[in-house]
Amino acid sequence: MIEVRKLEKVYPPVVGGLLSHNEVRALRGVSLSISDGGALSIIGESGCGKTTFGRILAGLESYSGGDIAMDGVALNSLPNNERQPYFRRIQLIHQDPYTALNPSHTILHAMAVPLRIQAKLQKKNDDWILNRSKELLAMVGLDPVGTLYKYPHALSGGQRQRVVIARALTVDPKILVADEAVSMIDVSMRLSILNLLSDLRVRLRIGIVFITHDVAAARYIAKDGELCVLYRGEVVEYGQTDEIIVRPVHPYTQAMLSAMPVLRGLEEAGPDRYIPLEGMDDFEGQGSGCLFAPRCRHATARCQEQHPDLVPWDDRLSSSSHHHACFYPIPRNVVARPINRENAL
Amino acid sequence: MATANLPTSHEHIRPWTPPTFWSIAWKALRRKPSRMLGLGILVFYVLMAVFGPMFYPANLPTNPANIYASPSWTHPLGTDFEGTDVLALIVTGSRYVLYSAGLAAFFTVGIGAILGLVSGYFRGWPEAIIMRIADFFLTVPGFPLLVVLSTVWNFGNPVSMGLVLGLTGWAALARAVRSQTLSLRERSFVEAARGLGLSRRQIVFGEVFPNTAPYVAMHFLLAITGSIYLEVGLFFLGVVPFSTNNWGVMLNLAFSQAGAMYSTRALPYLLSPLFCIMSLTFGIVLFLGAVDEVLNPRLRSV
Amino acid sequence: MGADLKVIGNADQDAQVECQIRDLTVIFTTDSGDFPALNHVNLDIIKNKITAIVGESGSGKSTLGLAILNGVAFPGKVTEGSVEFAEHGNVLKLRGKALRHFRGPVVGTVFQASQNAMNPLARVGKQILDLGRSHHYKDPRKLLHEAENLARRMAMDPSRVLTAYPHQLSGGMRQRMGIIMALVLKPKVLLLDEPTTALDLLTQSAVLEIIRSIHRERHLTTILITHDMGVVAEVSDYIVVMYAGRVVEQGSTHDTLRDPRHPYTRAILRAIPRLTGDLNRARPLEGSPPDLTQIPATGCVFRSRCSYRAPQCDLVAPLLESVDTGHFVACHQEGLIRD
Repeated sequence: MIEVRKLEKVYPPVVGGLLSHNEVRALRGVSLSISDGGALSIIGESGCGKTTFGRILAGLESYSGGDIAMDGVALNSLPNNERQPYFRRIQLIHQDPYTALNPSHTILHAMAVPLRIQAKLQKKNDDWILNRSKELLAMVGLDPVGTLYKYPHALSGGQRQRVVIARALTVDPKILVADEAVSMIDVSMRLSILNLLSDLRVRLRIGIVFITHDVAAARYIAKDGELCVLYRGEVVEYGQTDEIIVRPVHPYTQAMLSAMPVLRGLEEAGPDRYIPLEGMDDFEGQGSGCLFAPRCRHATARCQEQHPDLVPWDDRLSSSSHHHACFYPIPRNVVARPINRENAL
Repeated sequence: MATANLPTSHEHIRPWTPPTFWSIAWKALRRKPSRMLGLGILVFYVLMAVFGPMFYPANLPTNPANIYASPSWTHPLGTDFEGTDVLALIVTGSRYVLYSAGLAAFFTVGIGAILGLVSGYFRGWPEAIIMRIADFFLTVPGFPLLVVLSTVWNFGNPVSMGLVLGLTGWAALARAVRSQTLSLRERSFVEAARGLGLSRRQIVFGEVFPNTAPYVAMHFLLAITGSIYLEVGLFFLGVVPFSTNNWGVMLNLAFSQAGAMYSTRALPYLLSPLFCIMSLTFGIVLFLGAVDEVLNPRLRSV
Repeated sequence: MGADLKVIGNADQDAQVECQIRDLTVIFTTDSGDFPALNHVNLDIIKNKITAIVGESGSGKSTLGLAILNGVAFPGKVTEGSVEFAEHGNVLKLRGKALRHFRGPVVGTVFQASQNAMNPLARVGKQILDLGRSHHYKDPRKLLHEAENLARRMAMDPSRVLTAYPHQLSGGMRQRMGIIMALVLKPKVLLLDEPTTALDLLTQSAVLEIIRSIHRERHLTTILITHDMGVVAEVSDYIVVMYAGRVVEQGSTHDTLRDPRHPYTRAILRAIPRLTGDLNRARPLEGSPPDLTQIPATGCVFRSRCSYRAPQCDLVAPLLESVDTGHFVACHQEGLIRD
């Protein structure tokens, strides 16, 4: 069980040069929890803070405020050097399997180096390292003997991502944070990687945090878990995955879901689907209002002035976990529906 | 193309053992005859430097009656101004040249690669300090610096010579390795290594360094030729006292004692060391491609 | 194999063909041999319609895009075939000046990474003027005016985006600028190579909406190269499915998605997770995408991943054959797949 409480991240301003920018608030008080073997998908567009969130969880970046608790241990209460072993149990799966493996080393090397650290801790010998490497590669669906001595460039994108997952398993993680883990993999291979992650959840009780802008992949991973929608560092909607998809109440969630392509011929667009063109470049919100107000077509004067908090959506049809941050929550049906055919695939 | 029925990758997966370093190296060499020629030249000179001097007495005999002899069966490269066999001078002189150049390249690459990795990976003040020193060595002309240095320090023996050339020559490599490291440290495999709990030493030398290795190894070979030019130049100018015989000393004497510039009779004496330097450089350049292929797994399999 | 050539008919009886690709073969030469990136591709690009070319890595879709522009470069080489444009003849024969005036004024191209396709040191407006100058455009003010109109159409403030440097624009804005730069010269054909791949879902849907509305207005013949079935389904009229350098299925997008006949098309559609419906219906496709160096020389290129594989598939490469009006499939087992 991992609990994230009011996590804040502020990047200091950069002055001068091409990349100069003001202070950036990447995360504004994000609170979430992931149970052992649970699944949580985080969706949002680039710049919403979802990648920062994953990197903080994996201990690759510091945070400016809030706290992370693992199995009841608040990491803020620990000295710096004692936090690392906790963060190590949260492993990040990078987006790009082509740079996530060292091109100069064989797969065996990639597996053996972290395993050697484990072997030292657990007083195991070199045979254990080799056997464990094979065992983990087999677990992620690779042929251990054929893969061990290969270099990354000899593997396809999907195979590489499997190796990356196997490598993350060397440290017995509690949580895998998959940041756009399938977006650079060929379409035909994506589903099997998603299945692998789901499989690890069941077999090893590893929690999955799936970070993506692809809502359908998010749904696939967290079909029995939760979906969280981030906008500019804030949770704007949260709840059981299918409930959010079928009855989204926040206009931003509705925009994200509308943006999913409709497979014409197999599906028909949802009646409330709306693709905005205006305002798609207005990222800077002004003043104290709702951050999404400048882009929201339902925004009122109140939205410009007051900031909505994350509150439960009390509606007879929804479950208690459904939360939203909107003054005017109205469920809209925006997602595509499959057309019923006898000859369905 | 019409008849072959190629198996796809899924149909035949046979277990195999990884190729050893030597089999990879041999394959890389065999791919191009020029690489074999380069290796042949290198081996020839290394054997000459290691074993050649054993066949000659410590003090080569002189023969005032037979100075500036033309090439003949007894003196294949003629004789010098004292009647000493030029071939003997070449062979005995090669040891100093190769030994000190090898040491110089070793120091150049060792210092340059480590400082480049450290400054590129850790950034901050180590980078600032190391790069300012590197800039100093890059902007001050190297050869004049060595000439000035020779007035205060007699670095004629091979170890000192190697050290001096290494200490003055590392800057270019350090800058190149630093810039490669800057880009490598942003790759996700470095981040993954951090997340998996690898130590900084393991990350810098175990993960980042192997990616710069092809470049560093090539720089090592090129540093050998560069060092040969520098040391021969120093001896030719006569700014370093002659303690032993070597190709630089030969050039100096051919020029100053034998007047090779003005008379043709000392031509073999002048040209022999020049030819050796040229052919050694040539051999190294031919060999370079194989080094890149051996150390760079991406170039190997295709 | 050269005897396979057969003319592809159209779904629409009165549809005109803008670009006719016949028997196109592109070979890549490497140290370990020659590999066909495109293998006898036959294709008609219908005038005033959007044709999507879809495939995974190694399918040859990008090489096909390059070949349409006569831009295949070493180590690739066109060894056979032709790309005939109405009124322009075989593009593969164009050289020098004629080729330059084909690329741009006749076929406008939008590349996947538009940020890299722009000069980082020049303002966007100036790059548009440079573009006009290099194509001897007489009236630069008209050109800028056109660019301003297009920018407004795409929900951008022209005074802001045309005076900006590329790095000052967001990814979505750069991609829209790329489309503007392809459109200002008023080409007859628009070639979009992975126009939304690097973009967010929201930006992608906006860019697709723009592509759709521009097409509604100008009826440009559009060629869309993508790996994303969703993008294909959203905008295209016709679909061409490629695998390992061959066209395996083609037809109208609606019919093909509703009733895909090639095992690969079926498998890929089933392997895409959907937002609604039963998730258990999704099935992964086994095996890896084709590796150029390991494409079998004989037989069907898809057989190693195919669940309908028969002995015949190992021996003979299936030809593209009509299964319905305007619907073509290259599969020996097509008849078995229907149920």
